[in-house]
Amino acid sequence: MSAAPDPHPTPASRPDRAVLSLKGVKKHFPIREGAFQRVTGWVRAVDGVSFDIRPGETVGLVGESGCGKSTLGRCVSGLTDVTAGGVYFDLPAEASRLLDNIASGTATDAEKARVAQIEAAHRIDRLQGAGYKRFRRNCQMVFQDSFASLNPRHLVVDIVGRSLRVYKEASGTELTERVVELLEQVGMGRQHLYRYPHQFSGGQRQRISIARALATNPDVIILDEPTSALDVSVQAQILNLLSDLQKQHNLAYLFITHDLSVVRHMADRLVVMYLGKVSEAGVTSDVFDAPHHPYTRALMEAKPDIEGAASEQAQGLDGVVPDPARPPRGCRFHTRCHMATPSCGWEVDDVIRRLEDIPGLFDALSGVERKSDFAASLTFGDAAAAERLVSILDSDGIPAAMRSAMGRLERRDRTVSVAFDEVPDVDLRITEPGRVASCVLSPIEVFQGVNE
Amino acid sequence: MMGHLETDMADAVRTAPATVASVRDLKVHFAAKRGVVHAVDGVSFDIRDGETLGLVGETGCGKSVTGRSFLRLLPVPPGILAGGSVTFRPHALCEDCDGAGCDACGCTGRKAVVCPSCRGQGCATCDGTGAETIDLLKIDTETLRKLRGDRVAMIFQDPGKALNPTLTIGQQVAEVFLQHRTDELIELAGLSPETGGALRRFARQDHRFGDGILLSLPPFRGQRRRIQAALDKMVARALAETQVPNPASLMDRYPHELSGGMRQRVMIAQALACNPDLLIADEPTTALDVTVEARILELIRDLQMRRRSSVLYISHDLSLVRRICDRVAVMYAGRVVEIGPTAEVFRNPRHPYTRGLLAAVPTADTPRGGLAAIKGTVPELVDPPAACRFAGRCRHETEACRRFDPTLEPVSETHAVACFIDHPAPEGDQPSFERITE
Ligand SMILES: Nc1ncnc2c1ncn2[C@@H]1O[C@H](COP(=O)(O)OP(=O)(O)OP(=O)(O)O)[C@@H](O)[C@H]1O
Ligand SMILES: Nc1ncnc2c1ncn2[C@@H]1O[C@H](COP(=O)(O)OP(=O)(O)OP(=O)(O)O)[C@@H](O)[C@H]1O
Ligand code: SF4
Ligand code: SF4
Ligand SMILES: [Mg+2]
Ligand SMILES: [Mg+2]
Ligand SMILES: [Zn+2]
Ligand SMILES: [Zn+2]
Repeated sequence: MSAAPDPHPTPASRPDRAVLSLKGVKKHFPIREGAFQRVTGWVRAVDGVSFDIRPGETVGLVGESGCGKSTLGRCVSGLTDVTAGGVYFDLPAEASRLLDNIASGTATDAEKARVAQIEAAHRIDRLQGAGYKRFRRNCQMVFQDSFASLNPRHLVVDIVGRSLRVYKEASGTELTERVVELLEQVGMGRQHLYRYPHQFSGGQRQRISIARALATNPDVIILDEPTSALDVSVQAQILNLLSDLQKQHNLAYLFITHDLSVVRHMADRLVVMYLGKVSEAGVTSDVFDAPHHPYTRALMEAKPDIEGAASEQAQGLDGVVPDPARPPRGCRFHTRCHMATPSCGWEVDDVIRRLEDIPGLFDALSGVERKSDFAASLTFGDAAAAERLVSILDSDGIPAAMRSAMGRLERRDRTVSVAFDEVPDVDLRITEPGRVASCVLSPIEVFQGVNE
Repeated sequence: MMGHLETDMADAVRTAPATVASVRDLKVHFAAKRGVVHAVDGVSFDIRDGETLGLVGETGCGKSVTGRSFLRLLPVPPGILAGGSVTFRPHALCEDCDGAGCDACGCTGRKAVVCPSCRGQGCATCDGTGAETIDLLKIDTETLRKLRGDRVAMIFQDPGKALNPTLTIGQQVAEVFLQHRTDELIELAGLSPETGGALRRFARQDHRFGDGILLSLPPFRGQRRRIQAALDKMVARALAETQVPNPASLMDRYPHELSGGMRQRVMIAQALACNPDLLIADEPTTALDVTVEARILELIRDLQMRRRSSVLYISHDLSLVRRICDRVAVMYAGRVVEIGPTAEVFRNPRHPYTRGLLAAVPTADTPRGGLAAIKGTVPELVDPPAACRFAGRCRHETEACRRFDPTLEPVSETHAVACFIDHPAPEGDQPSFERITE
């Protein structure tokens, strides 16, 4: 080894760092309405997500459609700015600890200065000049939608070779040869150089995206459903290729997918998201063997399996996905959880949601006066309708957990007052070394499926 | 080259229960600088009444092109319909029970339309079935427009491309109702079925000059608003079925504001809105997680139960196909290489390519990087030679495979395969599963 410091140290050569570190990342989109496009609310697409991606590892990211996976991927690769929190590139463990400590307490002036220094050197939206360039080269992305992500007016040779040209790595015939090499790595070839994206099938386009991502020899690639459009044999080729490349270059991947067989095969660690938040994370095989969160359990149960019996019916989740602009209180999963307890965050919205399903009654509702998310008075057109709501809320049609969380349920004439026990939002907690889950139940209770 | 589908073959694919659609020797070519790409090159299969036929195969083998041919949604040029037919037998309200469901219609309330040229006696145009048979590749565009989205609906593989970026989600779903459900809309709005003229045109969205002024006048203005409200209700209901969060607010948003899976569900809502007889579902759930996928499959199954609709389910998720499809067709390089009942094909695959596909599925104990991929890539389909198209990648190929082109032939009453392992080549060394030749 030479004594001079490496001018371009790669995170790969230093295992005590995170290639990418997410700290409380949030991304909210404005909802605009009316002629003046006034902002009337926010879609909380990503709502406080933290985890690390270490050199050479694959982190799998799974979760319900619309839960914010792609948005998170775009935040991580710097394609969108975050609303709050930060994404750090090549962050040393010591700096990471300091940031965590300061986030949870007050900082001295010296610490503040150090934080500013860390942010300037690692936070991707603060990086400048050479630091920014290094991040750009080393963090690549493969998108879910290959139609949208490949410029329809560019030839394959230009698409794949673009970054080589931008970073002045090659030109002329050398560039062409590099592109051919990259195409061959993804199972394509020279004959495809001078064609346009629309001339390829969905899967072929995805291979082109992967070739493009590989061009700059990155440290980490964000793969957003990279094989969803591929048949299993091409998928097998791509997955084998990705793991070969990982071994050769100590590449790290953030692998976004909803294919559980693929994620089980590829990911070292797994992050499960639900409605903008992490619901569970841990070593992939551990999570598959024994989920610590009822949502993860539901996912595993819905998974079609090539090995299982063909007649097996997959179990979907009941109920609609809640609106990310108004996520449920307590535990975000409580509206659909089969194991929900009285302390899972039952609230006024749960009453409204049920009312919406009863057309006659919902039309009779004339006003809602909220005292908080947990208490409100609902006024109806007549006393009979109010009484009907009371009897519905008191019946077996309502989950027992919700009923027992209802501290008060009274009718006075046309008005029903309900109040639920107020609970704090359910946060991630450590359930086992290296594992976190955000559920009030213990892993054993989740395993047994208690309140079923 | 040998002709496809000679007599015994016809028995294996064209079997007893009524068929809704038949693809016969379909050829779709693309003109390219390098020559003519034979993207679909002699594909034949039937879709039976009420069944789900799975269509699987390698990326680029022509599944989407085959599916899109049903609605003539091919880019022409460079696409060329080089031959074959795609026939379709539409259903209509059963006149015996007026849609309530009776024995004559198998409780679905719908029955095949009687062939107009023979009044149900059976003639050449309807292939002796007595049911109206339409060649989707030959009918005029107006007839096709009426069928499209109504009797035959399609869920496209790429929601990003299939949705119009300049229209809100509500407007796009509404279009289906406006085109095909004018009467229902007028009824839901509480207007008399005799409503005519400008209002009906409004409901159908084919405005005429002057309608705008007419509709802004008092008596019409209110009715028009009622139609709009009814329409919103129909759209919200269709969207809610696919379990998207907050359908009412979704209607005002644009496609780019939605996640991939939400866009896909918008398309599903659009496709299912009119209870089609035939649904071409091109990878309808690839962007969806398993729990939503289960829900979508339930919706499709529900449609099949109510209407005996048939589904062509294009997918590469073999575990899913195995679970939901009655029969499965495996395509390779523009051809169907194996077709049969799903259980049989999965238990006893007869084509080396099918075997390769099944082996490539990741299982719990496959070591990372050790998936069994089929070596090589799909051949260029420019002027393909008379040889097995899988030759060059097949573990069992012999020189005979490189000299002759195997055709799809039955291996059992319901199962057919195009490979010399089961049907020897005219001459030369016969390949076998016992012999690995690579
Ligand atoms: N517009 C086009 N111009 C030229 N060639 C085309 C065009 N569209 C499709 N093709 C060719 O037709 C062939 C079949 O494409 P198709 O989209 O049907 O594949 P597929 O089986 O649906 O694949 P995938 O599983 O990736 O969706 C491909 O080889 C492709 O190159
Ligand atoms: N540009 C945008 N404007 C407004 N809302 C957006 C925008 N992009 C995404 N969203 C919203 O953010 C949420 C998360 O979307 P995202 O694309 O991250 O989901 P996802 O987890 O990738 O889902 P899928 O599995 O379906 O791809 C969705 O509710 C979506 O509607
Ligand atoms: S906290 Fe756990 S038990 Fe309660 S609703 Fe959430 S996931 Fe279900
Ligand atoms: S015909 Fe020959 S090359 Fe083709 S699949 Fe059969 S054994 Fe393989
Ligand atoms: Mg996504
Ligand atoms: Mg396709
Ligand atoms: Zn009938
Ligand atoms: Zn006839």
